[in-house]
Amino acid sequence: MSDAYLPILLIFGVSALNAVFMVALSHILNPRRPTPQKAMPYESGMIPLGDTRARFSVKFYLVAISFIVFDLEAVFLIPWAVEMRALGWSGFVAASIFVAVLTAGLVYEWKKGGLDWD
Amino acid sequence: MNPFSALTPIVLLGLTPLVLMLVISFHRSHRLAVVISLVGMALPLALLAGTATSAAPPLAPLLIIDGYALFYIGLLSTATMVVVVLSYGFLERVPGNREEFYLLLTLATFGCAVLTASNHFISFFLGLEILSVSLYGLVAYLRTTRTALESGIKYLILAAASAAFLLFGMALIYADLGTMDFTAMTSVLAAKTREPSVLLLGGFGMVIIGAGFKLAVVPFHMWAPDVYQGAPTPVTAYLTTVSKGAMVALLLRYGQYGGLLDYDSVASVLAVIAVLSMFLGNLLALLQDNLKRLLAYSSIAHLGYLLVAVIAASREGSHAVTFYLVAYFITSLGIFGIITALSDERKEADEISDYRGLFWRRPWVSGALSLMLFSLAGIPLTAGFVGKFYVLTAGVLSDLWALVILLVVSSVIGLYYYLRIIITMYLSAPEDPSSPLSATRRFSLPEGLVLAGLTVLLIWFGIYPAPLLSAIQAAVGSLA
Repeated sequence: MSDAYLPILLIFGVSALNAVFMVALSHILNPRRPTPQKAMPYESGMIPLGDTRARFSVKFYLVAISFIVFDLEAVFLIPWAVEMRALGWSGFVAASIFVAVLTAGLVYEWKKGGLDWD
Repeated sequence: MNPFSALTPIVLLGLTPLVLMLVISFHRSHRLAVVISLVGMALPLALLAGTATSAAPPLAPLLIIDGYALFYIGLLSTATMVVVVLSYGFLERVPGNREEFYLLLTLATFGCAVLTASNHFISFFLGLEILSVSLYGLVAYLRTTRTALESGIKYLILAAASAAFLLFGMALIYADLGTMDFTAMTSVLAAKTREPSVLLLGGFGMVIIGAGFKLAVVPFHMWAPDVYQGAPTPVTAYLTTVSKGAMVALLLRYGQYGGLLDYDSVASVLAVIAVLSMFLGNLLALLQDNLKRLLAYSSIAHLGYLLVAVIAASREGSHAVTFYLVAYFITSLGIFGIITALSDERKEADEISDYRGLFWRRPWVSGALSLMLFSLAGIPLTAGFVGKFYVLTAGVLSDLWALVILLVVSSVIGLYYYLRIIITMYLSAPEDPSSPLSATRRFSLPEGLVLAGLTVLLIWFGIYPAPLLSAIQAAVGSLA
């Protein structure tokens, strides 16, 4: 069985070597005359503005976390909603417990001031 | 019996953080948070006393609430209560929000309870992640200090990496056996219709890596000293006891009764891990001057001893593991409790030199600390001795002579650094009265009661282990 996969392994090996070889060769052979314009990051012709490592408010972190939580809530609730009749009351109770736990989290976040921007 | 009523202890443990979260959002009070978490941990205990005798049905397929799981849930929630009491005094000295600490603590214990009762890879992983994610927060709780942040990030990254190993291992085992249910897995493995495939052994190996990280056994121990040192001392106590105990409970259940150890390769990998942990733990502990780092290495060595009993896959082996774990819980909680209670606002009592001459100022405290260290070293009349005795017996009964001899040799090495701390306490007090730690902080009543209780238990189980042992026999007996 393993013999059958040998050509694939060969192709992987040859393509990896080929890629490394081309990059290495061009790196060794090419002449280097750096100018400030050439050293600039390529931004599709735009002249880059400022640093990429811009600082942004840590408040966005909280927004992102809240987004993930409620995003996941949707991920779990939509399959339940689709099969609601088949799952019956036990499914409804389970989904309600899930929503109640998340609501407790929301209450905590709200009271803690996580939803106030300033 | 209604299968859902068997779940009550776990449901109560899960409700505790939820109630705590709602209470915190409306009324912030450190005292109230402590009371709620104590009640939340005590309620399942009270219920366990009633249900322990009745054989609970397995809640297929995720959880199995048998006497074994209930015993461990009781042990873990008791230990959490001790940590809660210790944390109260500790957090009173700390600026910032204190109540969330208990939220994370109770949540972590909930994860541990799921872990000990899990009967499926899904519940295993869920329990482990609930535990780990809460621990990230707990380890880095004092987020304004550099060391806490460092250890938090270290723990986060390494725990995430080990969870990846664990998941991959689970996937490999599933690919080979076609099931993630432990009961089904056990019957497939017990049938032994064929040689174990490479896939299966690779999967077991990866699961061992994931479990070994939580247990901090060599070679997955790198995080332990730094995290132990940087984390708040009550959290260190929690990491040493509850978090490791839950993982040991799981390993024991499936290592011995799941047929995992019937494979020679798995058993020999665990044996190598055990020997390395015993020796590296004890040898590196010799070099430490910081008590928390020293205890981290000592914990690595102790988990090595425990693994010897796990490998001795016999009935005595599982009794030995459980007894050893209980003794280790009592001892570790006691030592970390004393470290916490001796620390004050200015300085944490975590250097060995801080304990110089402690006996002449605080004879009772240093007496208790000496007893705890004797127990860790395995000196007779302490619970640690009885535990080690059972581990050795289990090893001898299973003819693991090499492991038993190595265990004894490494314990002798360990004796040295435990005695070094004890000697330091009985030296004359330092000349310089302005030494950083005056250790004059008076213990609060709950702290004193808990520490005294732990000391009494330590001696009691060392002299008269029969009641504990029969409880353990009843609990472990429900496994097979």
